[in-house]
Amino acid sequence: MKGLVIWILADEGSDEAVLDELGTEIKDRGGRVEVFHSEAVESLGMEENYRAKAVACAMLASHGVVVIASGRSGSGIVPGEKLAVREVSEEQLRDGRVRTGFMRDLELAGLVPPPKYDVHPDEEKEILKRLQDLGYLEE
Amino acid sequence: MLVPPHGGRLVDRQYEGREADEIIAGLQGLKSLTLNAREKNDLEMIGNGAMSPLEGFMCRDDYESVVDLMHLVSGPVWSLPVVFARKVGDPEVRPGEHVALADASGTIWGDMAVEDVFNADLASEADRTLGTTDISHPGVAYLDSLDGTYIGGKVRSIRRRDTESFPNYRLDPKETRVLFRARGWKTAVAFQTRNPIHRAHEYIQKCALEIVDGLLLHPLVGETQEGDIPADVRMRCYEEILKDYYPSTRVAMSVFPAAMRYAGPREAVFHALLRKNYGCSHFIVGRDHAGVGNFYGTYDAQLIFDGFDPDELGITPLRFEHAFFCRKCGGMATLKTCAHDSSHHVFLAGRKVREMLGEGVMPPPEFTRPEIAQILIEAARKGEDR
Repeated sequence: MKGLVIWILADEGSDEAVLDELGTEIKDRGGRVEVFHSEAVESLGMEENYRAKAVACAMLASHGVVVIASGRSGSGIVPGEKLAVREVSEEQLRDGRVRTGFMRDLELAGLVPPPKYDVHPDEEKEILKRLQDLGYLEE
Repeated sequence: MLVPPHGGRLVDRQYEGREADEIIAGLQGLKSLTLNAREKNDLEMIGNGAMSPLEGFMCRDDYESVVDLMHLVSGPVWSLPVVFARKVGDPEVRPGEHVALADASGTIWGDMAVEDVFNADLASEADRTLGTTDISHPGVAYLDSLDGTYIGGKVRSIRRRDTESFPNYRLDPKETRVLFRARGWKTAVAFQTRNPIHRAHEYIQKCALEIVDGLLLHPLVGETQEGDIPADVRMRCYEEILKDYYPSTRVAMSVFPAAMRYAGPREAVFHALLRKNYGCSHFIVGRDHAGVGNFYGTYDAQLIFDGFDPDELGITPLRFEHAFFCRKCGGMATLKTCAHDSSHHVFLAGRKVREMLGEGVMPPPEFTRPEIAQILIEAARKGEDR
């Protein structure tokens, strides 16, 4: 089975914590995942850095791994043409619905098992608040 | 841990606020198809996950599989078609097109990525799913109003909270699931109703509650046929009885925005599967559930469950006999638990109850609690009861 390269795009380079958080979620769900931090190849120039990272990501993904890497918005480089590639912004990834949809795509692709939860934990907090507001639960 | 959703995961294709605005903006200039009342209810319930694993209106393969085999092509049990019908005056569409879904007034309620446009044998559908082709059956009459072409594809639904009836009782499946967990319920039984609550219903609900952690009162508020008691009257009855006769920590009420199909046995299974998505482990099936007239046998809606493997259903039907007050027993009972003949039973036919309420006469308290009778009499006086 082929894996997937997820490029997380941000204007000034991605927040490493965002990459780690997504990587942890996929790993916790039982997926094979590799988070590719930018410092791994930081000695190269900007474009070389990007291309080298892309090659490494593609190699990992070809072995069925979900690879998470950071990129710059509008860079124009979308490496890994022969592999499934997803681009998502940091802002989108912080959105519970996008995040859920993202995980669902990985699930349908057979890259992670079905979720252990029926409602995303981030969304659950919002729902609890609404249930309190409606009087179903005490505050 | 609550029962998992049907098909393993809850579908979430419902949007509101900024996301909904973006979807609507993206539909400008595209073709628009018209939703009827049933389809609008279905769209809402696909979007909020109540119809999981459905992600859209059925294409031909699922439609045929459901009509013939009561299973989706992908495997899960599914007993009734959930389809979108082509309407007179709507534009022609082809697979691959992206279209808006709007009601007759032009308000957009969602969109569809069209995957299939197909002709259906509606007489055969009626025969297989409703068990009749008699035009006096409301489900057959509905099918007879269609032109026989269905349009299938994945949908997204737009939520407009400001237009919803019973906004304080609108809980999506993910919300009831969170509620059940917060209350510490691991099991819950759902009660489907399109009638006001009488003592018989109360008895059955409380019998069911004895064996599970919580009770979800789930009145149907989608489209019903003329002659059914309107949803707002039924809701007033339930609000009243919940005040004094039900333990608040063990009972939750929210509305079930489905349209009635009057498909009897198949609709009983359909209702059960949807309640599984709401997090319920058990479902009450009374006599002639979802029936109409004399089209179905008294126990058909209970017997149909025997044709499925319990694991593939994933929700347990609780079968109940008709309940009544027995003067000799001195309490509520059913034919299963009462040793006495009908001369001891307080039983009124529906038509008789209507007559009494219309004339301002209180039914016996053993049949209807006075608080409820008062609401129904008031509704009859104002002409709200039909």
